[in-house]
Amino acid sequence: MEFQASLALVAPELVLSLSGLALLLAAAWGGDKASRLISILAVAALVGAGFLAAPALCNGASGPDTLAFGGQVKVDAFAAFAKLLIYLAAAASLIVAPAFFERVKAMRAEYPVLVLFAAMGMGIMVSAADLVTLYIGLELNSLAAYVLAAFLRTDERSAEAGLKYFVLGALASGFLLYGMSLTYGFAGTTSFAGIHAALAGDMSKGALFGLVFVLSGLAFKISAAPFHMWTPDVYEGAPTPVTTFFASAPKVAAMALTMRVVVDAFGAQVQAWQQIVMIVALVSIVVGALGAIGQDNIKRLMAYSSINNVGFILIGLAAATQQGASAMLVYLAIYVAMTIGGFVAILMLKDANGEPVEQIAQIAGLSSHRKVLAVCLAMIMFSLAGIPPLFGFWGKFLVFQAAVQAGMVPLAAIGIAASVIGAFYYLKVVKVMYFDEPANVAVGKSDWAHQALLAICAIFISPLGYLLTGWLGGMADKAAAALYFVG
Amino acid sequence: MESLVVDLSQYLPILIFLVIALALSAAFVFLPMGVARLTGTHKPDAEKLSEYECGFPAFEDPRSQFDVRFYLVAILFIVFDLEAAFLFPWAVSLDMTGWPGWITMMVFLFELAIGLAYAWKKGALEWE
Repeated sequence: MEFQASLALVAPELVLSLSGLALLLAAAWGGDKASRLISILAVAALVGAGFLAAPALCNGASGPDTLAFGGQVKVDAFAAFAKLLIYLAAAASLIVAPAFFERVKAMRAEYPVLVLFAAMGMGIMVSAADLVTLYIGLELNSLAAYVLAAFLRTDERSAEAGLKYFVLGALASGFLLYGMSLTYGFAGTTSFAGIHAALAGDMSKGALFGLVFVLSGLAFKISAAPFHMWTPDVYEGAPTPVTTFFASAPKVAAMALTMRVVVDAFGAQVQAWQQIVMIVALVSIVVGALGAIGQDNIKRLMAYSSINNVGFILIGLAAATQQGASAMLVYLAIYVAMTIGGFVAILMLKDANGEPVEQIAQIAGLSSHRKVLAVCLAMIMFSLAGIPPLFGFWGKFLVFQAAVQAGMVPLAAIGIAASVIGAFYYLKVVKVMYFDEPANVAVGKSDWAHQALLAICAIFISPLGYLLTGWLGGMADKAAAALYFVG
Repeated sequence: MESLVVDLSQYLPILIFLVIALALSAAFVFLPMGVARLTGTHKPDAEKLSEYECGFPAFEDPRSQFDVRFYLVAILFIVFDLEAAFLFPWAVSLDMTGWPGWITMMVFLFELAIGLAYAWKKGALEWE
């Protein structure tokens, strides 16, 4: 029966939604005392969903067999790749949360439930094959994310972050919906395959407007310049575990969604979106690099760094080839590891009373009293800057290689030149940690879960990560082949 | 797949209507202001600029805060009102959607029931 086959395809989402609902009731009756247990169960649900999603990636699933619910959802290897990254990032942000929230007595049992629902929404986003599915997934993710941003509701900055994220997110959703309505009006269908067929040949002005609005809405969600302005404020104001989540999982989901939309729905109009993506990529790289220079808060610095990295990832999209898509996926995987590592390291920066330390000036001379932490943070900074022996270089290398092979030498050249600007502020953090007078502020002890997670991320981005290039590249190639599958 | 190419000229009347509506409403707002300035009747003083409340001096600032519980009740009302709005079209088209339609709606109602149970347990339905 077709309905049963569809249900089997969306098994990861079913697991997440059912466990989310069950844990919601557990949160209501168990109260905040049960938050640790609920967090553990939520991580288990994410792991289970990951195991259900993984076979599609290993088999390189693509084609009509992956379509569920009459072509509304497409559960191919590409969706599975993105889902695994999302579940990993969501699990990481669940693991780091209790230690942070319990200190301010704000660990609530709803936190893991919200993360589960957000992860489920992102799973729907990346497997969307229809504008309506896209929007449902996006809103499911966003609504949970707005609440998460304001999770420390007595904290003014957190409440401000939540409100800003909500207002600007709603604006972006409006853009997206307007673009979708225009696209539907000119293509006569909401399914990606139908839009692809309807827009083959000449593209009318109205459909072009639809494309531009859809891309603007998506650029908001991936926080690409010139739609990035909410990012530093939200990343700074939101509680750090939530920022860890925002900087990793929704980025992957929105980026995968963007790839799916431009390849599946607007694949016949590459000329139209390629220029936009190129401009957005370059502007993001430059804005991210220049904006970060004056920052003295390390979370804001990481926000600009994420804008900068989104620009590099988009260069792979601008290449508009299967190789480019594969390079983007590898970059995304490395980016998730660097981001989680970076924010976990920030979570571990605490003063003697356990208060979080966020000012860059306060971590001066960190290498003298927290040697291992300083080494990890320095590695992450070097990796984010793309300096060779570290794994961050590999992602940038693949993306630029794809751009050059697609004949975009000027784009690659400008990107590489701009990454030198970016290296300045990453190196500044390293310089402050290693060569400045010790401020002896960040002396607090850290949780073992944080240390373990940071160690895993640090090993992944260290030169040891290159052992994984073959395996990771193979998976990304399968996923990209599924994305570009024509049949 | 016929008539995918939309004839935009069909929508010309709406465009004209929009332009005229914008022009007229702008004129209604800005013309009296301009005329008032030009004819010299624009002489504001403290009394003219003060709020008018049925002839009394204003009792309090109208932008007062109100209890967040009203908001909570309103949100809960919207949720269950929308549920009812979904139920009507579902009920009249049940002969076409059949068992899958019935099951889908029951799943939806079940999820809402869980939400209600959560809100109830958390005390969102109690005023004090």
